[in-house]
Amino acid sequence: MIRMLLATFSALLLAWAPGAAHANEAVLDHSPLPEDKAALVRGAEIVATNCNGCHGLKYLRYRHLLNLGVSKDKVDEWRGSQSLDAVLASQMSDEAAKESFGGVVPPDLSLMASAREGGGHYLYSYLTAYHNTQDGVLGNTVFPETRMPDVLGMATATDAQQKAGIQAQAKDVSAFLIWAADPHAAERKHLGSYVLAYLAFMTVLLYLWKRRIWARIDQEPPIE
Amino acid sequence: MADSDTLNSPTRRDFLGKFTTAAGVTGAAAACWPFVSSMNPSQDVLAKSITEVDLSNIPPGGMHTVAWQGKPVFVLHRTEAEIRKAQSSPGGLAPEEDGRRVQKPEWLVVVGVCTHLGCVPNHNEDGWLCACHGSMYDTSGRVVRGPAPKNLEVPVYSFEGENKIVIGKA
Amino acid sequence: MFKQTIDWIDQRFPLTSFVKHELTGYPTPRNLSYWWNFGFLAGFVLVLQLATGIFLAMHYKPDAALAFDSVQHIMRDVNYGWLLRYLHSTGASAFFVVVYIHMARTLYYGSYRKPRELLWWTGQILLLLLMAISFMGYLLPWGQMSYWGAAVITNLFRATPFIGDQLVVWLRGDYGVGDATLTRFFALHYLFPFIISAAVVIHLVALHSVKSSNPSGINLADKDNIPFHPYFTIKDMFGLGVYLMVFCWFVFFAPNAFIEAANNIPANPMQTPAHIVPEWYFLPFYAILRAVPDLIGGVIAMALSVLIFAAMPYMDRSRIPGGAHYRPFYRILFYLFAVDILVLGWVGSQPVTNTTVIVGQVATFVYFAAFLALPFISKIEERYLMSRKLPPALKSLLDAQGERSAK
Repeated sequence: MIRMLLATFSALLLAWAPGAAHANEAVLDHSPLPEDKAALVRGAEIVATNCNGCHGLKYLRYRHLLNLGVSKDKVDEWRGSQSLDAVLASQMSDEAAKESFGGVVPPDLSLMASAREGGGHYLYSYLTAYHNTQDGVLGNTVFPETRMPDVLGMATATDAQQKAGIQAQAKDVSAFLIWAADPHAAERKHLGSYVLAYLAFMTVLLYLWKRRIWARIDQEPPIE
Repeated sequence: MADSDTLNSPTRRDFLGKFTTAAGVTGAAAACWPFVSSMNPSQDVLAKSITEVDLSNIPPGGMHTVAWQGKPVFVLHRTEAEIRKAQSSPGGLAPEEDGRRVQKPEWLVVVGVCTHLGCVPNHNEDGWLCACHGSMYDTSGRVVRGPAPKNLEVPVYSFEGENKIVIGKA
Repeated sequence: MFKQTIDWIDQRFPLTSFVKHELTGYPTPRNLSYWWNFGFLAGFVLVLQLATGIFLAMHYKPDAALAFDSVQHIMRDVNYGWLLRYLHSTGASAFFVVVYIHMARTLYYGSYRKPRELLWWTGQILLLLLMAISFMGYLLPWGQMSYWGAAVITNLFRATPFIGDQLVVWLRGDYGVGDATLTRFFALHYLFPFIISAAVVIHLVALHSVKSSNPSGINLADKDNIPFHPYFTIKDMFGLGVYLMVFCWFVFFAPNAFIEAANNIPANPMQTPAHIVPEWYFLPFYAILRAVPDLIGGVIAMALSVLIFAAMPYMDRSRIPGGAHYRPFYRILFYLFAVDILVLGWVGSQPVTNTTVIVGQVATFVYFAAFLALPFISKIEERYLMSRKLPPALKSLLDAQGERSAK
């Protein structure tokens, strides 16, 4: 009976998982993304000095970058005369952006890593999916309709070393955007391991106590 | 069962029960902390507990009002005459030397909240007048006429270079 | 001092006798399995949802222009706001897991049967309230899934005869889902927990009147009952520990498993996401809705698929006591039904294709056929079991039942 219901429950989870699967998930590159501070700081620099030109990050403030570990000098350089409390707004007005990108304002990036199926892997795959088609037109296999230019230069990279450099940059950017979308993730997992350890300890204690209390009565079930 | 030998030993059973209860109560109390903590000022509010003021565009005799922790702070660029007046007087109802209220004589920084019932006093050539109940403060922010009982509060602040102060940071 | 205080209260309020009657001395069948833990767990989840919800409401702003930002404010700036929000969003799913298992136990062991009909029906009302509150809560983050989920579900009311269109506008307070809709959903989302709490009290009063069912399906003699405290308080606490480990694993390590990616994009009335799905707990009912190629028919089928559970005490006509444990035919039907719900859930999660439409229609047919066949199957099963030798305990109980009905 228990086994049956467990099987039922896991089948339920399985049945539900494909709902999240997306048609293009197959082409995503799931290679691991860095999580260390240094990568996040490198990613922050690329995003603040490149992406931020057209994309806003409206839930990030410059003081958040300081908390992340970016040096004060760099943050001061990026923010110019804006206060530490200012958000990383796009440096382009919506009107100018629409003009440059055919009527579309580049989307805000603060939640991008959680707003796409595949999360950071989607972003990494997308950034490195630029290529020149046979007709010599720029294409992107992950997001064919994209209007963003090949900022990192993936399509024009010629040798393997150059490509590896671009891939490393794309990984740093993705890692930074994952952090930007959920800045408390590290704290959450850290706290979670203590919580689970405590709960496991408590559950064992409760189980022992339960056995002791139930030992007071004859455990023979009345029927069966 | 393995319990048979321990079943008749009440001390062990009591210990298990008491220990489990204590551990559970401790955990439950710890679990309350995030709820309590969530009612404290959030990070964006705390960030506002520090306010930077650029002094370079406040002319002598001019005053800027800036927000700090949701309260107005008066930053007054005092003229020679105002400094002299402030330094020559011991203060009114709550005497205090002017030198103890300023870091540099030409800059007076005070919280713009009347110490009577919390209105924002208006600046005039003699200092400030609170429109609510008529309290008056001199050019050092000291109360010279009631009903306000105390001088205007001097916030924690520090100079960063010649032309910038940071309110909220010593 | 303590005793004096209790005495003082007891002279004015039946505190001691209440605790004794309903907790310390409350007679509970000794043979309850761990499947009987889920009622208590549902109560715990309700309390945790109430607590996290109240604290979230201190920071949330029910305004179409501010709602999405205020959720991000909670996630980023409020102290432990991320924890409160993940507890609440994961808790919504946990609520359904616990309640569905609680219902499955009721169905498997026949706990809905006489004299527990009212207990079962108050439980049904609680399920409907839970569905309503989770639907309204899901709009509050004001993401794309929130918005389009609410748009689609409120549109179902168009199926109402004559006043359908006006009713939808009235529900929304706008021609589309808008600021007015969000604000009223928030008001009701805050109100419903109190209605649910009251309904839980009624559910518990009904329970304490008829007492717990048990795996044997036979009401036990007094000697087989034990006091609720300490035996079941400690058993519930142990179950709570296990539950919290699973729950907290999701909260701390996979909280986004229950948040659709598209809901991290602010609501946009001008653009529907490519693939909209309801939350997992609505998927089977959503599949039934889509299986009927007609708006009114689909809505009726979906409503029936939930409401039909209330008829169980009358559909099940067998006089064999207990549930699936002693009843081979009923057991097969139970598992068939469980698998069918999983199939419907899968169909509900998929985009509409020829295959999913056909699978969905077959599964919908099986869903209702299982209910409609129950009166006949239970009668046939009864005859089959009576023609064979019953377990002695069952036999004597059936005889006793026969005598009672003869009187």
